[in-house]
Amino acid sequence: MMEFYKSLYRALLAIAISFAITSILFVLTGANPFLAYYYIFFGAFGDLLLITETFVRATPILLVSLGLAISFKCKVWNIGAEGQLYIGAMIGTLAALSMGESSLTLLISILFAILGGAAWASIPAFMKARLGINEVITTFLMNYVAINLIQWLLAFPLKSPETLFPESARIPSSAIFPIIINHTRFHLGILISFLIILPLMYFLMMKTTFGFKVKAVGENPEAARYGGINVGRTIFIALVISGALAGMAGFFEVSGIQYRMRPTISPGYGYTGIVIALLGQNNPIGIAFASIFIAAIINGSSTMSRMLNQPQGIVDFIQGVLIIMILLSDMILRYLEKKELILR
Amino acid sequence: MTNSSSFSNNIVLCVKDIKKVYPNGVVANDGVSFSLLKGEIHSILGENGAGKTTLIKIITGCITPDSGEIYVHGNRVNINSPMDAINLKIGVIHQHFTLIPSLTVAENIALSLPLNFSLDLENIKKKIRDIAKSINLEINPDAKIEELSVGLRQRVEIIKILCQDAEILIFDEPTSVLTPLEVKKLFSMIRELKSRGKSIILITHKVKEALSISDRITIMRRGRIIKTLTPSETNEDELAFLIVGDVRPSFIARESNPGEPLLIVKNLKVLGDRKEIAVNGVSFFIRSGEIVGIAGVAGNGQKELVEALTGLRRVESGSIIFKGMDLTNKSPRFIIRSGIAYIPEDRIRRGVIPNLSVAENLILKSFDSPPYSRSMIMNRNIIESFAQNLINIFGIVTPNSQIAVRNLSGGNIQKLIVARELSNHANVLIAENPSAGLDVRSTETLHQMLSDLRSKGIGILLISADLDEILKLSDRVLIMFNGRIVGELDRNNIDMNKVAKLMLGAT
Repeated sequence: MMEFYKSLYRALLAIAISFAITSILFVLTGANPFLAYYYIFFGAFGDLLLITETFVRATPILLVSLGLAISFKCKVWNIGAEGQLYIGAMIGTLAALSMGESSLTLLISILFAILGGAAWASIPAFMKARLGINEVITTFLMNYVAINLIQWLLAFPLKSPETLFPESARIPSSAIFPIIINHTRFHLGILISFLIILPLMYFLMMKTTFGFKVKAVGENPEAARYGGINVGRTIFIALVISGALAGMAGFFEVSGIQYRMRPTISPGYGYTGIVIALLGQNNPIGIAFASIFIAAIINGSSTMSRMLNQPQGIVDFIQGVLIIMILLSDMILRYLEKKELILR
Repeated sequence: MTNSSSFSNNIVLCVKDIKKVYPNGVVANDGVSFSLLKGEIHSILGENGAGKTTLIKIITGCITPDSGEIYVHGNRVNINSPMDAINLKIGVIHQHFTLIPSLTVAENIALSLPLNFSLDLENIKKKIRDIAKSINLEINPDAKIEELSVGLRQRVEIIKILCQDAEILIFDEPTSVLTPLEVKKLFSMIRELKSRGKSIILITHKVKEALSISDRITIMRRGRIIKTLTPSETNEDELAFLIVGDVRPSFIARESNPGEPLLIVKNLKVLGDRKEIAVNGVSFFIRSGEIVGIAGVAGNGQKELVEALTGLRRVESGSIIFKGMDLTNKSPRFIIRSGIAYIPEDRIRRGVIPNLSVAENLILKSFDSPPYSRSMIMNRNIIESFAQNLINIFGIVTPNSQIAVRNLSGGNIQKLIVARELSNHANVLIAENPSAGLDVRSTETLHQMLSDLRSKGIGILLISADLDEILKLSDRVLIMFNGRIVGELDRNNIDMNKVAKLMLGAT
């Protein structure tokens, strides 16, 4: 429980400091920071449509960062969620297109998307677990391979004959997530992510022997090996699971929002997921709140920028500052404790 | 010395009424006052957790005390950082060395000195040679640390401190990593330093050592100074009594009646980290109800042998048969499940996961079998009551089972490991230097436990660099040298001279 509050402190502290620093930026550009934050909040939660849009935005981030959390907990730094997301979306789309209309199209496509992301992640996972090659480099570089490969696929062999853009044909309507709230984009995938995948990942990480293995390997691989845990296999599976969730996130975007595979399917959700896994401190519940939070900032910022004539890039700025502050938050907390400014 | 004013003039370091309470509520130093005279060797003797290390950390600026005063040469000082301590000419030789293995001796020492932008290594090498010469040491400033033995690394640490012009030298458990021969060399070196007017504090929990080298001995127990004595006015028994605080539990001798062979090792060949042959055709067996000791100077293949037996290192050739089952090159998990328990020497790196809780560490080897988990789902209630049970049986001192193991003392971590290893109903227990770094009381408890297990019919392989421990517990003693078993002796006719000779490779 202590640990939980500490994690909460850390996240809130990082957010508060990031907001404070961003406020300076607002002041420098002549905007009222309070008004700016009000518009960000309004833009994210102002009415039902805006709220649903925030959830639409939060869903892919949630899925990606839940997957990354398990990999990060194992101290495997998967930077390749973006590529895994693209591959999953592509494979899912291909499955949907080749199956055509049928009652199983959606389910099978999702499964293929999961397999696609997992397969893409299994390459660096194998290199890490068996050959000891640094996963940061392999996962990151494979993003470029994945995205460029897909751009080529969509520009040539898989290009839809009906449109002028590099995009796939429209997936069959039986592969599309039904809309849950009329006149919004709030689709079934959002409910699945928050009500099924989130509890499932929580359960996997907190209550199962696999979650324990991941934690043991992450904290002390030598002791884990001594305890009879197959360290390489645990690392492999952790990385593959994060790829699977990224792949799922990719196809959920296709099936819930875009209805086609596009080369712009993700505006960097794979990277935002890293921030959110860090902010949520690898705790699924924390990650759920963190993804809604960042989705609110992203969506709210566009309202704010319209109202106050501010650049939209402020989102990236906040994200960047957030990462640094989360990494610093341990130190800041320890300093505050030492000075007895907060209770232990 | 009889004149009180000259006495006080001779005090180089004096601490008064030091108090330190750690955030977790542990009172590490409770009104400690202590003084060090010029040119004396002053041992601070006490169990693990007596507060010795805390006192040293305060004197060297690693932590700040809650209250109390420190005087150096009669002047009140504030030591807020290790740099302050260095400037006051206080230097520490740490228990775990702080050298960078891939750099040379001279480069390591250069790192510890205030440097100009240009690095004058030649000058530093000259200084190293001069200092080494002045205390009759031989050291090659160009040798890489990783090529040096532990004893030599310690010398480098000493020279490093001397290069910083230290006048007060603090040795923190300096003999715990050394072979008997190296200990002898170290002590003659310490005497040499004393004769050159250096003042020395020696932190130790070894009574014999303190008696043999000290001018004065101060005993600490539970954060307080109990007494300061000179060796001539005391003896081993009295010191042991003062350290522990109550009567030392005595070890019970017993009859030997071993049963069937449990573990049979034949012609085992194992490679070391650098692909050298570390274990070279070792054969032996362990019967139920006996303790087989492997004596030997550290680094003669014991570590590799243990790792091969526990599945952590590949066996090149030979076989390990346990109760008729072939365990050669099986996975650690398979070997654990077959019934082989293992208490590793390196508790923090291998024995526990410091950031996980006491309960999680207790189930490290059994979490994936019922009743702790069923079809991958962990049963928190059963785990919790299992942990609570072990905490009670083994007397692990911890506020609760959910606290991270890093908060426990060394002795309690060892108890936790022993508790876990014994909870698996193993038939064979491999104990690797199990009492290393433990205090007198914990060591006694541990020895009693091993002896009890033996009575219950468990076969124990005891690997220890501490010959006393081996002789005290073992039914049979195997002597390992250079990757081979070079001798086997029975408990009843042990010839100490022969053991020592075999250990050092003489025939």
